Amino acid sequence: MISSYLNVEDQHDRLIVGVRGDWIFDNVLALEDATASVVPHTGQAVTFQCDGLDDIDIAGAWVLYDRTEQLSELGIKSELIGFKAAHFKFLQHIIDAAAIREYEAPLDKPVRPKVLQGAVENLGRATSAHIEDLGEIARSILDGVRRPSLIMIGETIKQVYLTGVQAIPVVVVITFLIGIVTAHQAAGQLEKFGASVLVVDLVSISITREMGVLLAAIMVAGRSGSAFAAAIGVMKLNEEVDAMRVLGLNPNQMLIVPRILGLVIALPVLTIFADIAGIAGGALIAVGSMGISGLQFIERVAYSTDLTDFYVGMSKAPIFALLIAAVGTLRGMQVKSSAEELGLKTTTAVVQSIFMIIVADALFATLFTRLGI
Amino acid sequence: MVNETIISVRNLVNRFGDQVVHNGLSLDVRRDEIMGIVGGSGTGKSVLMRSILGLQKPTSGVITVLGQKIEYHKPGPSRCWGVLFQGGALLSGLTVQENVELPIALYSDMPLETRHELASLKLLMTGLSLSVADKYPSELSGGMRKRVALARALALEPKILFLDEPTAGLDPIGATKFDELITYLHDNLDLTIMMITHDVDSLFGVCDRIAVLVDGGVQVGSIDETLDSDHPWIKEYFGVPRAQRARAAAGERHHGE
Repeated sequence: MISSYLNVEDQHDRLIVGVRGDWIFDNVLALEDATASVVPHTGQAVTFQCDGLDDIDIAGAWVLYDRTEQLSELGIKSELIGFKAAHFKFLQHIIDAAAIREYEAPLDKPVRPKVLQGAVENLGRATSAHIEDLGEIARSILDGVRRPSLIMIGETIKQVYLTGVQAIPVVVVITFLIGIVTAHQAAGQLEKFGASVLVVDLVSISITREMGVLLAAIMVAGRSGSAFAAAIGVMKLNEEVDAMRVLGLNPNQMLIVPRILGLVIALPVLTIFADIAGIAGGALIAVGSMGISGLQFIERVAYSTDLTDFYVGMSKAPIFALLIAAVGTLRGMQVKSSAEELGLKTTTAVVQSIFMIIVADALFATLFTRLGI
Repeated sequence: MVNETIISVRNLVNRFGDQVVHNGLSLDVRRDEIMGIVGGSGTGKSVLMRSILGLQKPTSGVITVLGQKIEYHKPGPSRCWGVLFQGGALLSGLTVQENVELPIALYSDMPLETRHELASLKLLMTGLSLSVADKYPSELSGGMRKRVALARALALEPKILFLDEPTAGLDPIGATKFDELITYLHDNLDLTIMMITHDVDSLFGVCDRIAVLVDGGVQVGSIDETLDSDHPWIKEYFGVPRAQRARAAAGERHHGE
């Protein structure tokens, strides 16, 4: 293998190295082995005779040149003859212009992991980041609502359509199915107490107070939270947001506020659909397989659930919508540099908005319990 | 060997709805030549190059590169070609050094140190300083990104180089150095180059033949043949003062040698 690229002739005061074959990229590994085998004694000079070369490219030339550099560091003179000197002048020029950085393996610094300190630092950093986020979104909203323009109305309506109307089918289907599942599970347990008819109460109350709005919000967080973050993020990467500013348009007004407003309008309406679909799912099980008549079902719903329960659910919808839209648009605006960051921010937007919805839901539950509603 | 065809395009048709961009275009790029691709906006210069690279599915036609038939979204002779996209198209999640090392890592077994040195060499060749090596593409100016992209295109010692508007956005020094680099590489290595460009200085200074995209097809010829063309658009393109000055300047350089 080695001898196909070099042959070495030891002539007492000098080493004659015949260079031949294809000194190209594909053979770099073998070429490095070959040049490493050129080991002159002290006092010997080296002559590389290159007439026998079939083919050479920059990579191959580099390997040869590198060896001559290594030899000269050892105080051994070498020369290259019978060869397109142009290649080496070229390399010489580049290397003189800037020293090639030697590859340095990263030093393994022995570090004692400061667990507690690290944790506290991270907590502090996260907290201040969250406070900054809160400030940023508040500023965006306030900036977007002063001196409103008519264009905002069109944008908002568009968002209501995209986030609300287009989400109706999927929200209706999932809440319908959850209604079925809830009724089915409840029936199994309540039958043991001979209280089967209470399935209706359970489904109706849980859907209107909790499940309808929560499921609709989670679906919307997935759909629209990611859409907001991704759309605005790409606009940032394409410099579209900058283009808007220099044209005198306010991105907070054009992009952020319509999305927030649109979702705040859309989610309560979606919640209504969700409530109806959920209860309908429960009805399917109750009337379909539990022997409760349709009339009995409706009476039971009217008896157990009153408008307060409906309002409890509905009151959460605008808050959830605000959380989803604020997180989504904020994360989108924070995209600065790369496609990878865009993906990360989009994911964060969805995860954080769902998390915050559920935390808010728990807080609401505590609040309503205290208020006795 | 001298007139071997490296890229062969036969009867290329590219239709987008009602719009026909290429209508039976045929083109040969010969080994070791530098071909400039010229045309007005919308004449399909990028579409042509993308078709050749397998990034665009032509409506019909056969394209062969280095003897390999090109199919849409199937790997072409990636080991043998290097592509410089218009915006650079560096991978945004990798540093400059990693971007240039990537092809080398993909196509060879060489050790880390050698890979690192070769990549650094390519960066230096394009006129960059190694201080950019650990930066991310988003931290560089447009011109620097282009140079990194060129370094990446040259990483594997390709036989063919595809350049899409390489000097666009470069300052005059950068553009001149670029032309010089291309000329140097071409003279010393077995390199075939296909270059889309509006830069008339590059065209006259560097290209062997020029392919002008007009009327859904292409008119190919040497510089003199192209300048003698009767086609109204070609006459207008090369008749504008900018082009005339570039021609004169290139002529002077050639006489001076």
